[in-house]
Amino acid sequence: MTVPASSVALGDPAVRAAFREWLLRIADDELAIGHRHAEWTGVGPDIESDVAMSSIAQEELGHARLLYEQIAGEAPGAVDRLAFGRPPSEFRNAVLLEQPNQGWEFSITRLALYEAFESVRFGLLARSGQEPVAALAATLAREERYHGLFAATWLERLAGASVDAGGRVQAALDVAWPYALGFFETTDADGVLLRAGLVSDSAERQRDVWEAAVRPLLERCALTPPVAEPRLGGRRGVHTPALGEMHAAMTEVWASDPEARW
Amino acid sequence: MTPRGVEAARRTEAPWVRTLEAADGVWAVFLQARRRDAHVHVGDVHAPDAEMALVLAKENYARRDPCVSLWVVPARAIRGTASDAADMFEPATDKSYRFGGSYRQQQRVYRGGYSAGPTEDDR
Repeated sequence: MTVPASSVALGDPAVRAAFREWLLRIADDELAIGHRHAEWTGVGPDIESDVAMSSIAQEELGHARLLYEQIAGEAPGAVDRLAFGRPPSEFRNAVLLEQPNQGWEFSITRLALYEAFESVRFGLLARSGQEPVAALAATLAREERYHGLFAATWLERLAGASVDAGGRVQAALDVAWPYALGFFETTDADGVLLRAGLVSDSAERQRDVWEAAVRPLLERCALTPPVAEPRLGGRRGVHTPALGEMHAAMTEVWASDPEARW
Repeated sequence: MTPRGVEAARRTEAPWVRTLEAADGVWAVFLQARRRDAHVHVGDVHAPDAEMALVLAKENYARRDPCVSLWVVPARAIRGTASDAADMFEPATDKSYRFGGSYRQQQRVYRGGYSAGPTEDDR
């Protein structure tokens, strides 16, 4: 029986830890944006978009669950403990995703930027050679395609609706863009994964691919990304106060009785 | 008004023809569950254009049950028979000889699953 090269790589504890960190980032990203999107349920701009955004939120939370399962295993309560039992400083999500919704235009702008990134990242994970995660990534990417379509369709119409609306979307982009550059924040884990051949593109290359996807959409919307330094921290557990507030709301029920069976 | 326009207007004014009473931006959604099935009306969405109508219809009507294709049509473009004209569909004489309810073979052909022998359904 031949052992895939990537399994050999995971035999190295440093590589295994780095891969775990990467999965945790992805899962935490999905949990954070899924929770924020769930906050639109019942207060979306129209009933159809409310249902659609809620469904997207549910799918993101579902993706988070599947990815946490890859890290924590399927023992009862393991996924919930990983998702809700950690303090905010142990979360590895990009800081963009913990920001409050602020307005529909911000949530849509953020979703458009995030989905383009997800597409790049799930592509890398699908090519990581790590089963069953690689196959899972390819499956999840299918659902993300609609999320991106929903975001782009809304963004184009919002940005072009009126001068006022265009200005508000541009303002949302001005806020979101520097945070979005934080998607590509690196830690030691990134170098380890690159050297082990589990991730084929450097963070710089990933950002180039992402920008090549995002900029044409923004141009179609007559939106201009600001020139700004990336807002980093999330990948190292350094978060904005927004995560503390979100974390308290998100974990409230679970923390009331961590041993309860739901 | 062009002759064609006159003709169209006169036709929609026939007492048994109705235009759907729908607000601006209402799109009727038709869902096809499997290839070769008919597209079936499942509901409406509000949207400024067809693309947005399709995007919203996908998540509102196709997130649970099977779907391979969606159609959206401006609800106002739909012409129908008036509900008080329903009696024109009532048969005056026994037409049971026209019923084709037991022609399962035809359904199989429509679905592309044609097979010569009997299937589980037939037993």
